[in-house]
Amino acid sequence: MRIICKDLTYSYDPKKKPAVYALNKVSLTINEGEFFGIIGQTGSGKSTLIQHLNALLPVQEGFLSVGEFDLSLKDKKKYKKQLKELRSKVGMVFQYPEYQLFAESVFDDVAFGLKNFFPNLNANEVAQRVANALNAVGLNYYEVKDKSPFDLSGGQKRRVAIAGVLVTDPEVLVLDEPVAGLDPAGKKELMALLHSLENGRRTIIIVSHDMDEVLENCSRIAVMQQGELVKIGTPEEVFNSNQSYAGLNLPVTVQVNNLLKERGINLNCNFKTEQFICDLERFFKKTTNN
Amino acid sequence: MAKSLSFGQYYQAKSFVHSMDPRVKLLLLIAYLVTVFVVSNFFGFALIGAFLVLAIIFSRVPVFTVLKSMKGILFLIIFTVILNVFFYSGEYDRVFIEWGSVRVTDSSLIFAAFMALRLSMLVLGSSILTLTTTPVELTDGIESLLYPLKLIKFPVHELALIMSIALRFIPTLSDETQRIINAQKARGGDFESGGLIARAKAMIPILIPLLVSSFRRAEELGDAMDARCYSGSKGRTRYKRLKLGYRDGVGFVVFAIVLAGVIYLNGAFVALV
Ligand SMILES: Nc1ncnc2c1ncn2[C@@H]1O[C@H](COP(=O)(O)OP(=O)(O)OP(=O)(O)O)[C@@H](O)[C@H]1O
Ligand SMILES: [Mg+2]
Repeated sequence: MRIICKDLTYSYDPKKKPAVYALNKVSLTINEGEFFGIIGQTGSGKSTLIQHLNALLPVQEGFLSVGEFDLSLKDKKKYKKQLKELRSKVGMVFQYPEYQLFAESVFDDVAFGLKNFFPNLNANEVAQRVANALNAVGLNYYEVKDKSPFDLSGGQKRRVAIAGVLVTDPEVLVLDEPVAGLDPAGKKELMALLHSLENGRRTIIIVSHDMDEVLENCSRIAVMQQGELVKIGTPEEVFNSNQSYAGLNLPVTVQVNNLLKERGINLNCNFKTEQFICDLERFFKKTTNN
Repeated sequence: MAKSLSFGQYYQAKSFVHSMDPRVKLLLLIAYLVTVFVVSNFFGFALIGAFLVLAIIFSRVPVFTVLKSMKGILFLIIFTVILNVFFYSGEYDRVFIEWGSVRVTDSSLIFAAFMALRLSMLVLGSSILTLTTTPVELTDGIESLLYPLKLIKFPVHELALIMSIALRFIPTLSDETQRIINAQKARGGDFESGGLIARAKAMIPILIPLLVSSFRRAEELGDAMDARCYSGSKGRTRYKRLKLGYRDGVGFVVFAIVLAGVIYLNGAFVALV
């Protein structure tokens, strides 16, 4: 599903004068199948933006459509009618999703969304889809299904929570700071897991504070600042422009590249760490050979 | 969600009432509430009403903000009035409408009006206190007022601490609740339709995570307090000390006059009848 957003503006307190906007005229398009990153300093409006995508926040001003769903409809009845279907197709994983687990068993928790959206499924189908979702997040269905979600480790809880969203097989998966609070290995694992969920059609959107993380993982990046979209493009476009972004550290590779540039060394390369190191090695080999 | 909790929100301003001692305000409120419940004629209501108006004026809180506190109990007031108008069963002189056992009489109308007045004045008076006193001042005041109970080994300080922690966590928990509601809504949770039982059941996915996170927060807070060597009230000094000022005297005197008036009017009314 393609997401189109034009001049989206949102204020948490619309009556206040002068108006404070959490989102200010944000326009962007996210295509089907992209791995999209939204980055920005704390309070820049990232969470506000993504909560629009499954209508947890209503469109106040501007236009927003997600696939065939028009979320800026003024007709209340039509708008409400599409919500359920929309939410089954746009999965939203909030920050620290493990804090929303509630059921007695992992199985029940994962099945919660499924039963809400598709009340007519029979027990076999439910079990099948719960098993698929749990396996997709790297958990062994038979091992965990009857456990209490509160007995799992932090990382496992988060996986269960993600499975609870994945279980409806959403076409768009939005994750707010999915790796927050995990150790480096856990971060890497979870990111790999998210990549494994790509299937060409599914759009994955992650929100992050960490430049390196979006650089390594995303096909395109949007940079937010004080409710405004200040830059959007591929990682190369976003980081090549010699622009710095308030409150955000440039990725390490970009910083190194900038230092080299100052000394007249132009690598002209990809900023992804592995590739960057390759290019660097090749460059130094060339210079020492001469 | 947070917005609908306007009852008991502090309104920042510099005013006569704001700078009164919280203990005095608490005592005056209690006396005021008792008075509101014993007043039995319109003159008495007028007098105590005048006191309320005076308090509102000298608190510098916009009248509209004060009136907003009524929103929450408007339904209750209407409900009580209707019940009393139709089902009050005291003695009466005149009957306006009679229909089976339901009758509207002069005394039922008066009683209903009194009830409505009492409830509104109760809420307005209490919200003046909470609008002009920060939660911290309030708990300090309560702690100080309950001090004598220490003699019978009542844990006054601990109680006050519990209260201030509870107050401190109201906004945190209300944010958290909103977040959990959003998360479950995103998973298709439906909290707005269905009958009473269905709705109560639908609350489980919100209440359980809320409970779990409250326990987690409590544990963290306990650890943080231990880490700072908190050891109860023994030997603890205060950053802010409560002091009585001339305003508190003025408050007492004004209220005493009103009270005397109310008692006199009550007596006079009884004598008349
Ligand atoms: N529920 C709310 N009520 C009022 N204001 C809010 C609310 N949520 C966010 N805001 C404000 O809107 C602005 C944008 O907040 P938002 O949560 O979208 O930022 P963010 O980019 O997600 O930040 P973070 O990285 O800290 O999560 C902030 O200035 C914030 O204070
Ligand atoms: Mg956020």
